[in-house]
Amino acid sequence: MLFRDLTNTICDLVLYKVIILGIFLEMENAIRLEDIRRSFKNHFWQKETEVLKGITLDIHPGEVFGFLGPNGAGKTTTIKIITGLIRPDSGRATIFGMAPSSLQARQRIGFLPESPYFYEHLTGFEFLKIHASLSNRINADQEINGLLERVGLDRARKVQLRSYSRGMLQRIGIAQALIGAPDLLILDEPLTGLDPIGRKEIKDLILEEKKKGTTIFFSSHILPDAEAVCDRVGIVIEGQIREVGKLSDLLKKGLPTDEISLEEWFVRHIQKPGIS
Amino acid sequence: MHRIKAIIENTFKEGLRQRILLLLIVFTLLLIVMSVFLEPFALGESPKIMRDLGLAAASLFGVLTTIIVGSALIHKDIEKRTLYTVLAKPVRRSEIVLGKFLGLGALVCLLVLAMLLIHQLVIFLYEGSFDFHLLIAFPFTILEVGVMLGILLLFSSFSSTTLTSIMGVIFFVIGHALPDLKLFAETTKAPALKHIAYAFYYVLPNLDNFNFRMDLAYKAPLPTDQLIFSICYGIMYTVFLLYVTTLIFERREFK
Repeated sequence: MLFRDLTNTICDLVLYKVIILGIFLEMENAIRLEDIRRSFKNHFWQKETEVLKGITLDIHPGEVFGFLGPNGAGKTTTIKIITGLIRPDSGRATIFGMAPSSLQARQRIGFLPESPYFYEHLTGFEFLKIHASLSNRINADQEINGLLERVGLDRARKVQLRSYSRGMLQRIGIAQALIGAPDLLILDEPLTGLDPIGRKEIKDLILEEKKKGTTIFFSSHILPDAEAVCDRVGIVIEGQIREVGKLSDLLKKGLPTDEISLEEWFVRHIQKPGIS
Repeated sequence: MHRIKAIIENTFKEGLRQRILLLLIVFTLLLIVMSVFLEPFALGESPKIMRDLGLAAASLFGVLTTIIVGSALIHKDIEKRTLYTVLAKPVRRSEIVLGKFLGLGALVCLLVLAMLLIHQLVIFLYEGSFDFHLLIAFPFTILEVGVMLGILLLFSSFSSTTLTSIMGVIFFVIGHALPDLKLFAETTKAPALKHIAYAFYYVLPNLDNFNFRMDLAYKAPLPTDQLIFSICYGIMYTVFLLYVTTLIFERREFK
């Protein structure tokens, strides 16, 4: 009797631990950046330039986060560190608590690079099929057809990517990022170079994913884009995070709402570093 | 496995759709067919010249395709950043290296075989019979292509595309000149030069190990131990190159 009680107690304890661990894992930040620093030099004789100067950021599960900043602020470098394309000199980056280089972490993300170039010789369908296989999705024809329809490219499924327009390439890029219904979408300047209709379509896609509970981290240098879809934004200037918060709060602080004024705001902050 | 298969298929298709490939095919076919017209200048050696030239054309085609198409694909992958979306998927970098190697290797294999078969057809049309003995050259051409592909992938894992192409050509030329380097090492009287020449001879890939064209053209007996040595040498050298490539590629950053 005593032995049975003891066994039950141990089982209960193990179960609680498993539940607590599960909750902890579930609550794990989608992205965590801790004091990320990174320098580059173009040639070995040149001095290193510090591109990221201690980026610290937490992206919560299910939120849409806009990573805003002027060109050359360090947005793409940060994204490359998150996706494991480059490593930080110091600091730590994790995706759902895992290293970005781990296969488990990459199984949970979808990534659209900035100004993407894709394999031009492939048709839209072939391109997605290859990326589905790389995401361990075998026999994914139905999913691919669904994605092509979702991004409005079902009619161009047999057309080689070399014939796609910029907007179509951006959409097929998003479709490959959506393969396998990732928990985290990382989109580097997804709206750049698109016409107003193209922008709206991509924004709608982001909103659809948001409704599904997907965490979305996207970079942009255009504030109105972020305004329409973001829960929070972070402003990065010269490799440092200057502001993080809800967009409404930042707007109350005087953050301009149009593209031109935002650029001016960026310039002002670049000229007076440290002001936030 | 399906991830490697996807990369193999993509590399194969991408290589096949390169326009430069068509130029290489036409050039090789011209060389093979031209060997027939060299007869008047051959002083009674025409069948041998036709055989040697045809085999040399197929081998050169294999290596040139590897260097030119291989460099073009690597250029797109790294400098045009087509590899970014692949690297973000749950795929190991070793799988990418292996997939690229096997995809391009399969393409070159198929095309070299096609060239050798066309060469057989030319022989048949000229002499009224095939000479299948010459097809022994096929596996050795593929071993040479394997080593060259390994060199290309190795350089592409840490350097620029231009440098990769240049190194491909340099290694091809040096690889076939190593017997001369050995001769130099044997005859030179300067001890330092002798050691350096021997060091290069043993470290650099000796592509002449895969060259049995003259023996095949003249129907000379092929020494079995030499054939076995060449096969082992080719496989081990390629595996070593792929291993080093993977080690470097695992650490490569994509700035």
